[in-house]
Amino acid sequence: MLEYVARLDRRWIFLMMLLAVAIPILFQLRFPETPTPLAKAVFDAVENLPPGSKVLLAFDYDPASEGELGPMATAFVLHCAKKGHKMYFIALWPVGPQMIDDQIRKVIKTDFPNLVYGEDYVNLGFKPGNEGVIKVIVTDLRQLYTTDDKGVNIDKIPMMQGIRSVQDFDLVINVSAGYPGTKEWVQYAATPYGIPVVGGCTGVQAPLLYPYIPDQLPGLLGAIKGAAEYEKLVVDRYDLADVGRYLEGLRRMGPQLVAHMLMIFLIIAGNVIYFAQRRQERYRP
Amino acid sequence: MKRTVPLIITAAGGFTLIVAFFIPATESWGEVAAIWFDILAAIAFILGGGNLVRNHLKKISDQTAGWAYSVITLAAFFITLTVGLFKVGARPMEQQEYYGQRFASLSLEDFPLEFSVEGTIPPKKSGRRLPDSVHGQLVADAAAGTISFRGWMEPNQLDDLKNYKHLLEWQATVETLYDKAQPPEPLRGKAFYHAGHRALAFAGRMSEFEYHTLRELAGTPEWLAAVDALYEATNQTAEIECPADALPERFDAAAISPDLSYDEELQRLRFTGPMPLGLRDRMVRRFFPVATPLSPAAEQVLVNLLKQAGPLSEAQIEALSKAAAAGWTFDQLIAEVNRAGEPVQVPKTAREMLAEKQAGATVIEPMKTVGEKRTLNNLQQKFLREFDSSEMTVDDLVEGLRRMGPLSARQVAALRAFLAKQPTAAERNKELGFALLRAGPLTEEQRDLMFGDYRKQIRWRRYVGRLFAAAHVVKFPWSGEYRAVGTPFWWLYEYAFKPLTATMFAMLAFYVASAAFRAFRAKNLEAVLLLGTAFIILLGRTFAGVYLTSWLPESLSFLRIEELTIRIMQWFNTAGNRAIMIGIALGIASTSLKVLLAVDRSYLGTGGD
Repeated sequence: MLEYVARLDRRWIFLMMLLAVAIPILFQLRFPETPTPLAKAVFDAVENLPPGSKVLLAFDYDPASEGELGPMATAFVLHCAKKGHKMYFIALWPVGPQMIDDQIRKVIKTDFPNLVYGEDYVNLGFKPGNEGVIKVIVTDLRQLYTTDDKGVNIDKIPMMQGIRSVQDFDLVINVSAGYPGTKEWVQYAATPYGIPVVGGCTGVQAPLLYPYIPDQLPGLLGAIKGAAEYEKLVVDRYDLADVGRYLEGLRRMGPQLVAHMLMIFLIIAGNVIYFAQRRQERYRP
Repeated sequence: MKRTVPLIITAAGGFTLIVAFFIPATESWGEVAAIWFDILAAIAFILGGGNLVRNHLKKISDQTAGWAYSVITLAAFFITLTVGLFKVGARPMEQQEYYGQRFASLSLEDFPLEFSVEGTIPPKKSGRRLPDSVHGQLVADAAAGTISFRGWMEPNQLDDLKNYKHLLEWQATVETLYDKAQPPEPLRGKAFYHAGHRALAFAGRMSEFEYHTLRELAGTPEWLAAVDALYEATNQTAEIECPADALPERFDAAAISPDLSYDEELQRLRFTGPMPLGLRDRMVRRFFPVATPLSPAAEQVLVNLLKQAGPLSEAQIEALSKAAAAGWTFDQLIAEVNRAGEPVQVPKTAREMLAEKQAGATVIEPMKTVGEKRTLNNLQQKFLREFDSSEMTVDDLVEGLRRMGPLSARQVAALRAFLAKQPTAAERNKELGFALLRAGPLTEEQRDLMFGDYRKQIRWRRYVGRLFAAAHVVKFPWSGEYRAVGTPFWWLYEYAFKPLTATMFAMLAFYVASAAFRAFRAKNLEAVLLLGTAFIILLGRTFAGVYLTSWLPESLSFLRIEELTIRIMQWFNTAGNRAIMIGIALGIASTSLKVLLAVDRSYLGTGGD
């Protein structure tokens, strides 16, 4: 029996993981979320700015990590739109513009049709060069961004008046799935020029960004849990708790809880089998 | 030489960035170096693509294991590259297409008209050039003390020039030049010169009179040829097949435009000249009246009609009433028109402000109030409330309001804009129909009653769209967005790239679970510590952690799993990561110096390839 379990076909484990993810989704399992100080710091960074502040939203992720980062990007755009900030979108990842388009469609065009492109929000699109782009635009944005994503001359965009570099923004929000991402924004924008940066990142990145907290990075949302905490703060503040599409992070925490429990169970089970086998080997004649 | 050049580039680039970082005066050097880096990064995409093709072609050629995957990779690569690069299926960008205008090629040098005013171009402290939009068109003659503009100045050029220097004298000169650099009166708003596109343009159909007026402006062969070409282009007739039953009721081509006609015998819809977007939209809605608020009596009539066509439940009647109440009201319209009748603040022209300044004014207000307060009188309001779009057009409504009292142009515009934003009766009925369907079933006859007009409107809109496309000559076919919704690139991204990459990432959960079961063993103390930490973090990242230790009293709250998670991340993780990062940074500094000083040349390769 022990041998059978030890050599369990991995497809059974895959099936268990499938069920662990599928059941909470099908049954709409939701659990309460208590925001941590880091999520509160991110919320405060956006909330404490006066309406009309200039916020640069750098969406450096792709469809692969959309499941983990999409909800927090949605919450960031929602928060900025509710607060009445001017939103400037850019991307250092080639498919970043599609992520920006998704959020614009999902939040701005759906719930804020009165916001005008070029006056309230603008998509500056993707630029290759990774941290090299940040290095240039922190001192002169127009060296690299002469047009927006649609090819409109930047000088013709009303909300670009008075923006000479990233230093003219009141806040940089970065949603990052890797390199280039929050780390580069901290290293090349926040640290040398004192530009306030807050971010959201994938779970595997979060431990690498903790060393920058709190001086260089006041707040950080780690993975879907961070998104759920931030979502809660935003929907509570703006009374949106009944708008389902703004609770996506909270919804995705259901499968995460069950999947984490399964992982713990599998680790314990694996170790029980391991010790049982060792015991058998020790007493084997 | 082959190795020396890269070494010099590396050293120069690296040291420039270091110097620029520490010496603020040399900051711009760093920018230049970083821009070159960005250009090289963009070129790296090309090199990467070339490398991908070479490697996979070799794999296919050698028929090594998995070569079929290489075929798929290359096919996907070339298909994506082709549809993205050549913008296959992408519609031209709206603002680049100048809908409603036709172009004739004419270079700036061949544009024969130049307009001059007295004045000079003020120097800009930052050394910036004149705006790009007037490049080559604006020149100064220092000896004569004049500035000249070649071409007809457009409003955006005026704005750019005024923003070039915020000096009242300069802005007033630009305004004078703008007034001068316009086509003669009969052609204003119709004839344009787009210097950036090297094109003489004309909006709408050019009449004989306009043609001769344009020709008389100059006699150069290039000018005459361009005017001739433009006349011919604006008088071309586009036609589409359109069955008579697709025409809206009471269709009258002349009511839309004298350039529109319908051939009943051949069942063809014709339009002469380019069609502007406004005309297209007017054509779509002109014969489908705007939905006016449903009075209780009109609502009852509709309910009776529905009941005659089939059964109608109480819930459906209630849903209908609720949906009907959601539309606009006459009070909103009256408020809108009255708001437009208020005096408005508009910016003064630079010439006005300059005149004030020269007259000795010490404080110059940049805004002025125009217009006088006008509100709809009782008679007008009553007339407006009786507006029934099925019996009266918006033009008739405006005419009637004018007869009953004063009505400013802004009020008329506000009224038209308000009504243009409202759904047509067909669209309103469709919404009511959906509301009824949500509350219960409808018979075929009831559906026809609620959706019949909308079907006709959609059908008509399709024909109008076809005619619009036929009447338009695409000017910049590649100006569209390659990733616009509906393009092949969008399809590839949305239905291949996105699900595939998301699937790859999601599969990690399955493999991690399998690995956790097989490999995560408490074999020694380090492994036990790792396991313990993993448990705490896994629990702490979910509600389970909160739930399991919520019973702990406040004095022991630091032992709660979510608190432990934070402590582990903030203390142990941060300390460990900082140590690693500082070590890496020191390593990078020493390695970089070795590379910049050409001590370490390993990045150049062995020289064998």
